[in-house]
Amino acid sequence: MTETGSGSPPLSAQARRGPAAARVDRGRRAQPSGWWGMVLFVCAEVTLFGTMIGSYFYLDFGARRWPPAPIKAPEVTAPVIVTATLVAFTPVLVLAVRAARNGRRWRTVQWLLLALLVQSGFLAAQIVLFRHDFNQFKPQSSAYGSIYFTLLATHDAHVLLGILLDVAVLWKLATRGLSNYWLIGVRGLVLYWYVVNVLAVVVVLVVLSPSL
Amino acid sequence: MATVVSPRGQRYVDELDQIWIERRGLWGWLTTTNHKRIGIMYFFTALAFFGAGGVEALLIRTQLIGPNGTVLSPQAYDEVFTMHGITMIFLFVIPMTTGAFGNYLIPLMIGARDMAFPRLNALSYWIFLGSGLFMYASLVQGHAPNAGWFDYVPLASKQFDPGNNIDYYGYGLIFNGISSTIASINFIVTIFKLRAPGMSINRMPLFCFAFLAVAFALLFALPSLSVAALFLELDRQLGFHFYDAAFGGAPLLWQNLFWIFGHPEVYIIILPAFGIATAIIPTFVHRKMVLFPLVALAEILVAFLGFGVWVHHMFTVGFSTLTTVYFAAASMIITIPSAIQLFAWIATILTGTPQFKTPLLFIVGFIVYFIMGGLSGITVAAIPFDQQVHDSYYVVAHFHMVIFGAAVYPILGGMYFWFPKLTGRMYNERVGKISFWLTFVGTFVTFFPMHIVGILGMPRRNYTYSPGLGWTFLNFVESIGAYILAVGLVLIVANLFFSYFRGADAGNDPFGGDTLEWSTSSPPPAYNFAVIPTVTSPYPMWDRADRERDSGRLDAGEGLLNRGHLTPATTVQDADADEILSMPPHSGWPPLTAFMLTGVFVMLVLHHYWIALGFAAAAGLTLIGWHQRETSP
Repeated sequence: MTETGSGSPPLSAQARRGPAAARVDRGRRAQPSGWWGMVLFVCAEVTLFGTMIGSYFYLDFGARRWPPAPIKAPEVTAPVIVTATLVAFTPVLVLAVRAARNGRRWRTVQWLLLALLVQSGFLAAQIVLFRHDFNQFKPQSSAYGSIYFTLLATHDAHVLLGILLDVAVLWKLATRGLSNYWLIGVRGLVLYWYVVNVLAVVVVLVVLSPSL
Repeated sequence: MATVVSPRGQRYVDELDQIWIERRGLWGWLTTTNHKRIGIMYFFTALAFFGAGGVEALLIRTQLIGPNGTVLSPQAYDEVFTMHGITMIFLFVIPMTTGAFGNYLIPLMIGARDMAFPRLNALSYWIFLGSGLFMYASLVQGHAPNAGWFDYVPLASKQFDPGNNIDYYGYGLIFNGISSTIASINFIVTIFKLRAPGMSINRMPLFCFAFLAVAFALLFALPSLSVAALFLELDRQLGFHFYDAAFGGAPLLWQNLFWIFGHPEVYIIILPAFGIATAIIPTFVHRKMVLFPLVALAEILVAFLGFGVWVHHMFTVGFSTLTTVYFAAASMIITIPSAIQLFAWIATILTGTPQFKTPLLFIVGFIVYFIMGGLSGITVAAIPFDQQVHDSYYVVAHFHMVIFGAAVYPILGGMYFWFPKLTGRMYNERVGKISFWLTFVGTFVTFFPMHIVGILGMPRRNYTYSPGLGWTFLNFVESIGAYILAVGLVLIVANLFFSYFRGADAGNDPFGGDTLEWSTSSPPPAYNFAVIPTVTSPYPMWDRADRERDSGRLDAGEGLLNRGHLTPATTVQDADADEILSMPPHSGWPPLTAFMLTGVFVMLVLHHYWIALGFAAAAGLTLIGWHQRETSP
């Protein structure tokens, strides 16, 4: 193309407040680098979970009984309810990112706080369930225990990382404001949580597969 | 080339010099986020590891120069060949190609002023350095990893390898994987977003296509290795049973996970070599690459197909015939995109007017060894033959032809090729040619007899052999070859070292190169290009009109972006100008974050889990400081 000074493209970093950042966001023809960075990061994350899930079934298909003898097949009700609750609140994330892209700083903070509340509740419930299972059998008792707890712990760590990112972004939004930098931050964060929500469903289906 | 800059243009250049001024001294290097400085640090670090891996190789060949060698004890031999493999793959080839060549050249080739995430780029370097030192600390301790670079369980499990040798491997590779993952994300985003206006995807240099393919392959292959190593460490440290058959685990799970990573890894190693070859060939044969779109697609196809062939490393573990046949067929298919590129290179050379200077000689050497390694590759993709030669020196011969002859030669050629760009000086052509022939002969003499000795039954990884098996003479020849090879390699380094001080002035474009890095001064300024270049073809330097227009724009003060550390971002496919990004000038946070992460892994291997957690928290806290300065992501 021959770009000859006809309205040179905007200097994004100059957008320090919500309305200006929203204008930059609307004016973009392609997704920003930060968004692409998060897309690729979650690609790596999903591959990591895919590998673990593949390992789960590799061990499953090689086993005579799955789960092995004294271990009972997993309880279905509680994990499904917990996961369904997390996923049911996905629209909150949609609203948060929409508010951010409209340049509305405090509305964004509001929705993100609500999401943080739900996500923290999810993590707490996950820990309770994890402890409950841990009292039944141990990761050291068999390969089933190893992959079961490792998969769940990795998922929970993934959720914990998301919660830490929530807190960091919320803090910056409150202190710095919705600049171009943190608008992209919110978009990345929400993208991360979309993927966590999808993974939550997949992981729960995998660990419950012996009972389904 | 060097067009005369008018006084007004010079004023703009001085202004940019001021804006992009870099910190001096050690502190400047420590806190740099400039892709060229990071590339140079990657280069020297990887070169140091190449030296270490080379010494290990010479130790191996000296041990095997005659029967019943006593240079190394059996235990030391295990550690040395394991470290040789780990070093050459994870600490030399990948950081040298993606880290050094990619970092230095990709922003220059696409007309950008830096990588998409400059601080992340610094972080990936410092993590790589930390992981390399971490793994080499094991050697100082006398506990280096000792189960081969593919570290098969149960040999590598706690029961049979109770020391912490393997833990350095497991943690080290997870650590190293973080560096490569963030580097690959950075490369992909840089190539997607930072190409100069006008460089639509079909006008991108083939070098960048190859590196794009590598970055994608790394991104999707590494998680498998990380998971495999995580399982291994959970087994070893906490008594889990992923790989323990007695408790329902599966030793073959390790092999599968490892090779799901390990085979794409082979292409991760060789694709940058393809990219370098396609950068060097057009320059020295003075014509455009034959079949540009097909070569670009073939580069990407190789990376993609590489994910579907991993079982060909496991033909002897007892899978069903159906499984092995599928993977044999998939492996054979890879010859198609490889051959497309091979014929394209040969056709380009034959139909051009080749000028056999040192860099092109190395590419010719690369083609020769790639054909040899490729042909023996077809033989080992054939199941019955592979079952005969598995774990013999035939396999060692095959993958050294590919990994050394094919993958490292373009790195060596590339070192000569871009040396004038990095230093502003010319290397010595005559010494360069001598170094090529020494290396070429050394490679052949070292690795070719291994085919024969392998077919004669010599197994790999054995620390010695008995006389009277018919292997003695060939092993002697191989070892002599290794010494010749070492002399050749030392001569390359010496040539470049002395040329740095005494070489003739190179100017901007000593070879008549085709890509944008040759349009700027040697060495390039911190901002790479005073004027964001105009691009209308994949060979921008051969578009004289465009380059002249750029110098006109400098005089007119257009496209300078001189209001700060700025670079344009463009749309992904068509590279239409979209926004102006502000880049961070320097930052002390990345090395600090990497230091904390190093602390995490050191404490893990020493079993101080709480301190490790403390370091992890500290690493997290450094990220808060990191985000104090807002750039435009």
